[in-house]
Amino acid sequence: MAEVADEATDGTDGTDDTGDTGERWIFAVFGVVALVLLVLLATGRITLAYLLPTVALVGMWALLALGLNVQWGYAGLINFSVAAFWGVGMYSVALFTTAGSPLGINQGFFVAVVVAVVASTVLALLIGIPTLRLRTDYLAIASLGLAEVVRLVILNERNITAGSQGISVDALFPGLVTFLDALFAPDAPAFPYRGLVDLLLVSIAVALVYLFLRRVHRSPWGRLMRTIRSDEDLAEALGKNTYQYKMQAFVVGSILMALAGVFYAYQFRYVAPGDLEPINTFYVWVAVILGGTGSNRGAVVGAFTIILIREGTRFLGGLGLGLDFAALRLLLVGLLIIVVVRYRSEGLLPPRRELIWPAAREDDR
Amino acid sequence: MVQLAQLLVNGLVFSSIIILGAIGLSLVYSIADFANFAHGDLMTAGAFGALVAAGVLGGDPPTLFGVTLPSLPIPGADIVLFELPLALYVGILVGMAFAALVAVVTQRFIYEPLDAGSIELLITSIGVALGYRAIVQLGFGSGQRTYEIERTGRIEWLQDLLGIAVTPRDVIILGLTAVLVIGLHTLLQYTTLGRKMRATADNADLARVSGIRTGEVILAMWVIGGALAAAGGVFLGLDTLVRPRMGFDILLVVFAAVILGGIGSVYGAMLGGLVIGMAHELTPAIPFVSVEYSSAVAFILMVVILLVRPKGIMGEVT
Repeated sequence: MAEVADEATDGTDGTDDTGDTGERWIFAVFGVVALVLLVLLATGRITLAYLLPTVALVGMWALLALGLNVQWGYAGLINFSVAAFWGVGMYSVALFTTAGSPLGINQGFFVAVVVAVVASTVLALLIGIPTLRLRTDYLAIASLGLAEVVRLVILNERNITAGSQGISVDALFPGLVTFLDALFAPDAPAFPYRGLVDLLLVSIAVALVYLFLRRVHRSPWGRLMRTIRSDEDLAEALGKNTYQYKMQAFVVGSILMALAGVFYAYQFRYVAPGDLEPINTFYVWVAVILGGTGSNRGAVVGAFTIILIREGTRFLGGLGLGLDFAALRLLLVGLLIIVVVRYRSEGLLPPRRELIWPAAREDDR
Repeated sequence: MVQLAQLLVNGLVFSSIIILGAIGLSLVYSIADFANFAHGDLMTAGAFGALVAAGVLGGDPPTLFGVTLPSLPIPGADIVLFELPLALYVGILVGMAFAALVAVVTQRFIYEPLDAGSIELLITSIGVALGYRAIVQLGFGSGQRTYEIERTGRIEWLQDLLGIAVTPRDVIILGLTAVLVIGLHTLLQYTTLGRKMRATADNADLARVSGIRTGEVILAMWVIGGALAAAGGVFLGLDTLVRPRMGFDILLVVFAAVILGGIGSVYGAMLGGLVIGMAHELTPAIPFVSVEYSSAVAFILMVVILLVRPKGIMGEVT
């Protein structure tokens, strides 16, 4: 509760102004980036066939970052197995909805979602039960182990998961693409409707999740989360079962990560154990701490930076300087983590006014 | 029976590696009070440091960042003792010094100025880990290397006597680990620095008001932790291969050992390292579990410990 009071005063005693100019600056940067992209698009330097799937990927990373934000930002839980939950989502799609599934099950999108939700919940409970009663760092260590075990299982159980060979995934809602194609431009097959559909679907998911989390974060549940994060003993002294609440946050976050995996499988149309490499976990960490721990807007902004890192290093690698771009990505992610924790630990868009109930905020003025 | 004895010997070798890593990790946990996720990559740094030194001193310099290093062969570099050339013995020392230096520099320029809680340090250490690995990968490429020793195979008379295959390499790994562990024990128990370290680990504030310069103690801790990690890294490289990911991959097992022994207890870390190392190598003896899952076995052990006795074997009761 103490933290809530702090945030409220933050909003009224002048720090808000600096926050606002900082935020304006950040949104200005994003405006410029968007403008540059539009110019590049208009001049034909990049194509829609590249841009649409890339923006859809931003949405996918945003889902991952929102999921981690529930765990780390709301409840202060250190989860280093983001990639594992993401992989659970991916493999829910690959194993249950594709023609090439080694299990021979080919159901629809919603089956994949149900499987992803159930599997990630079970996995989250399995790792949460031994660690969430203990100090935060136990979860960090154990979750790193969990990620490795999940990756090993997917890599080695070849008759279930096809192992390192990976599985191709069919497109999501192929009917929608043909429908759009027939509706708008039957004569111009070049338009990348596939990317558009992916972008639309993931945008809807991000919007729903965002609204849900914003509502939840302002609710008594969200306030209690912030109390647990800042002073768990206090929350316990108030008679709250913090273990249970931390478990709820952990499960919700894990489900969101698995959902991101579901979308990723359909966007990338191919899943392999390589996707479960730890580096993907740390991308999401960068997104959350850079965007602003505890801030949903920040998580979305952080997702853009991941794409910038990934596409930027790919561009550098493509220049033919003999640079190992996997190593460059590692270095960038590592440096970003160090620099952000040291110099801007609150992130780019720290949660400020968004935590205050709108009606209460108007009373302040 | 013989097979089990063989697995036990293999387990001892692997345990040595884990123990050397776990001691440093446990020291950092008890004195600097955070889970250092960069410790595995410190092992990698030491292993590569030794690789470079052994190459330069042995007259077969490696290429680093696209530059071939000069060749400075030391006299008698090719004298082979227990399979390892003399240059590699010197290389191990250089690797230990290098990792200690890396650890101290990291402490001085990254952890110390941060001046934050253990959670922030933990997250920073992940960044440091990725940074170390990226630099190694940029310098050496992502491929795997070896120390290019001539493998002479098992020791004949042991094979005849007990039916156990032991290589001279195994003997040297076990021997050097024993020397290092006994040295650390002597340092901790019988020297002033050791007493200061134990006092700081026990209660840093109390140590400070008693006139112990905790800054020096923390530096000593990083030097010791880094050097032992490097030795562990070299031994891991001798036992398997030298890869940029070797340290990160083994970190989980080292953490399992530290948790099993009780976080912050150096002697617990040794015991935990022994148990986890054994469990890791005994995986083939467990029915229905294939070898690929040996690090999963360490993980399962860790989770069971967390459920049953989260303070570990030697952890404090408080």
